[in-house]
Amino acid sequence: MTSKAVQPATGAAANDEVLKGLLPTPFHARLAPLCMNRQWSDWAGFLSADVYDFVEQEYFAVRNAATLYDISPMCKYRIAGPDAENVVNRLVTRDMRKVAVGRVAYSLWCDEAGMLIDDGTVFRLAEDEFYVMCQGRMLSWFQDAAWGYNVSISDESEALCGLSLQGPTTFSLLSAAGLDAVADMRPFDLRQVEPGLWISRSGYTGDLGYELFVAPDEALKLWDRLWEAGRNWGLVPIGSDALDLLRLEAGFIAPGHEFQPVFETERRDRGRTPFELGFGRLVDFNKGHFNGRRALLALKDKPRYHLVKLDIEGKEPADGSYVYVGRGKQVGHTTSAAWSPTTKRNIAIAELKAPYGGKKQDGLWVEIDAIKEGKWMRYSAKATVVDTPFFINQRSRATPPGPF
Amino acid sequence: MSPASSHYDAIVIGGGHNGLTAGAYLAQQGRRVLILEQSDVLGGLAKSQTLESGGTMPRYAHLAYGLSPKVVDELKLSSLAMRTLPTTHLSPDGNHVEVSDQGARFVSGESHPQSAAYESLRHRIRSYSEALAPVMHSAPPDIDAGLGLSALRDLFPLATAGLKLRRQGKDEMREFMRILLLNAYDFILDELDDGPLAGGFAADAVLGAWAGPRSPGTVYALLHRYAVTANATVPVGGMEAIIRALADSATAAGATIQTSARVQSITVANDCVTGVVLEDGSSFGARAVLSSVGPMPSMRLAGKEHFDIETVRRIRHIRAKGTTAKVNLQLKETPVFSGLETRHLGGRLLIAPSVQYLESAFNAVKYRRLPDAPVIEAVVPSAASGTSATAPATLSLVVQYIPYHLDGGWTDAARASLSHRVINTLSSYAPGLEQSIIESEVLTPVDIEAETNAPGGHWHHEELNTDQLLTVRPINGMARYQFGVGGLYLCGASAHPGGDVSGIPGRNSVKQLIRDGGV
Repeated sequence: MTSKAVQPATGAAANDEVLKGLLPTPFHARLAPLCMNRQWSDWAGFLSADVYDFVEQEYFAVRNAATLYDISPMCKYRIAGPDAENVVNRLVTRDMRKVAVGRVAYSLWCDEAGMLIDDGTVFRLAEDEFYVMCQGRMLSWFQDAAWGYNVSISDESEALCGLSLQGPTTFSLLSAAGLDAVADMRPFDLRQVEPGLWISRSGYTGDLGYELFVAPDEALKLWDRLWEAGRNWGLVPIGSDALDLLRLEAGFIAPGHEFQPVFETERRDRGRTPFELGFGRLVDFNKGHFNGRRALLALKDKPRYHLVKLDIEGKEPADGSYVYVGRGKQVGHTTSAAWSPTTKRNIAIAELKAPYGGKKQDGLWVEIDAIKEGKWMRYSAKATVVDTPFFINQRSRATPPGPF
Repeated sequence: MSPASSHYDAIVIGGGHNGLTAGAYLAQQGRRVLILEQSDVLGGLAKSQTLESGGTMPRYAHLAYGLSPKVVDELKLSSLAMRTLPTTHLSPDGNHVEVSDQGARFVSGESHPQSAAYESLRHRIRSYSEALAPVMHSAPPDIDAGLGLSALRDLFPLATAGLKLRRQGKDEMREFMRILLLNAYDFILDELDDGPLAGGFAADAVLGAWAGPRSPGTVYALLHRYAVTANATVPVGGMEAIIRALADSATAAGATIQTSARVQSITVANDCVTGVVLEDGSSFGARAVLSSVGPMPSMRLAGKEHFDIETVRRIRHIRAKGTTAKVNLQLKETPVFSGLETRHLGGRLLIAPSVQYLESAFNAVKYRRLPDAPVIEAVVPSAASGTSATAPATLSLVVQYIPYHLDGGWTDAARASLSHRVINTLSSYAPGLEQSIIESEVLTPVDIEAETNAPGGHWHHEELNTDQLLTVRPINGMARYQFGVGGLYLCGASAHPGGDVSGIPGRNSVKQLIRDGGV
């Protein structure tokens, strides 16, 4: 240990770093003073705030104003070279040849048994240059995928930092910040709007939003620019707790909840195929061979599970609840659940054993355990399968986005 | 569009003994089959070369260690008359030991003090090996398949092996389990004093392998080698007789054999093979392609893009570092070994005078160097195969513990050094040999790889050890001959049960292909 590390910490930020053993992101100098709760978690070895102030306030800011979420800890890999398209196409289940330059594609990648390794977004910067952003560490996997191909693979996780700007006023905010060049960007468009500043119209909230990427030494300048422009647009920072609720409303899955990344499971059958997660449309069998194709072809019509969205009666979140059918046959469990403040519904995502959730969707109910004023209560609540995301709003897709 | 005449049910890549075996089985089953051999001579690692002075000699393998009696029988290779070769274990002190059906004794005729211990150990090894034989002749069980009817059928050979052992009694079963993963050094020296007899067993455990007698798993390798036929054999007429018999069997059943036909690629459409394209541009269509070259060359022929990432990774990490060189000598006269009579030259001569000798020789290869005293298996081909005495005098030498990745590379000086060490070692047993040499040819593992496509120049195409056996040979998930792309099968030594001139991988792959409904 160096002498520097044992010196008493002076500021809040310094104190956190020492206590948690985690690295600050390039935005930390701005984030730390804003984080009233000082509730930091480990995201890929970096400090990531769970909550800055109130989770409710952060949640409503996304649905009503503008918010910033630090996505710097996201793993980022650059795949570039003459064979880049072939390598990415070999990795992921969807057809990357159909993803044009300047587009972002939500993608899944599987192991040889067709089990999901991870999901993430693939950014196509050029014909021969892609960035893959995801939760898991993938460098060695990507390198294995690229063996024998003319590409270079590099881990750019720390060479690039990012902010997710989400909420209905974000377009107005970007215009105020001199970035109205994003006006004609459609959802999933990607553009270098200024030298060194890449913006994609994407996010994890189901609302209007953008993700902005710069080099770390540009981080604070970008933050200050957005913060300044955000004064009139209700800009606040948000943490992971609010984000988790937002993504559930939007119907997005999260690793560790809706699926277990197969590299982290001890038994391969704990993994899930894209079909079992409802992502059959992202598996393209006509594009030639890709990893897990043969296994997926065999498993396509035999899902062991169905991931479904549930609308549950009552208002008590069905977190970690069993799902039953009829008189009490247990058929699955909820993977994420919450009261949805915007839609005023009690929502959940649940994994049910096939055929439940697939052909059989009637008569489902959940058992909810909740503690009320120190007393455990057990409720049964009817659950209805919902086919569309819980939260859908036109403003998230309008191009150009309306002023708010 | 290729004309109808160039369309086959199956194409076999490689006219080595396994490729020919596969082709013969397919033809026997009434399939239209084409066998393609890159060289102008059939045989692969079992091929013979014609000498300038007339006559032939085996270029690489000079003994058929485990030629399967089942293959001989099923393919009706009645022309083959296999000779079982006695082994003479050479000893630096001149007390050479001869092992034949009559047991072990000194070449002087005196009985060997350890002949009873030797027989007892040989008997034990044979009884364990025989139990393994059913496992060799069937595809390894599919461990992912669960316990369906078809899976039970696959488990049957393994269960038979277990039962055979169990029937020998609880103690024997326990003993089998104890020794299975042991090293040959401990196993052999528990029963025998170190010397030429012990060295002989150790050589049988490690010949062809990147393993010393002290390496784990070498007892299994010994059992594995003895599982098919426990003796070194060679047919009358030499190794070429095997190749000729297989080729004749294939063509008689209707197979087409084409030599000097180098395959450039295996063509694939909709995840199934459609045929092959040769380097000369000609192409042939087929519903199935059986490749007897190793997994890596086979994958390259079909295109890596057709293989899953895990498969590619496993193939890249297959252990296949050849440790065996071949030295072929043409001599002025039949060599004379001190203390040996002419009849001994009709057998196998082994320079592996002790287990320790082998282990010391292996030390060098670990550090990518040449051993000072290599292990040598010498055969006088004409005498061993009973061909005419008028044939030119030759000596065929399998030289063990010669590194594939020699420190400094295989320069001319390195080859000369290897040659020198071999002649030097031999000369202490056969004085005057050096003066008798007309021509010597050194084939390093690198040469063998270049000539035959055997990965690493390894005579099993891939190391035969517990991590690359049975359900994990050639790699995990591909033990049942089918190789990723639909209709593509491996039929060479890298597939179960592995190397030596056995013909079993070729046989098994065809059985599996037909069972899978591929042709």
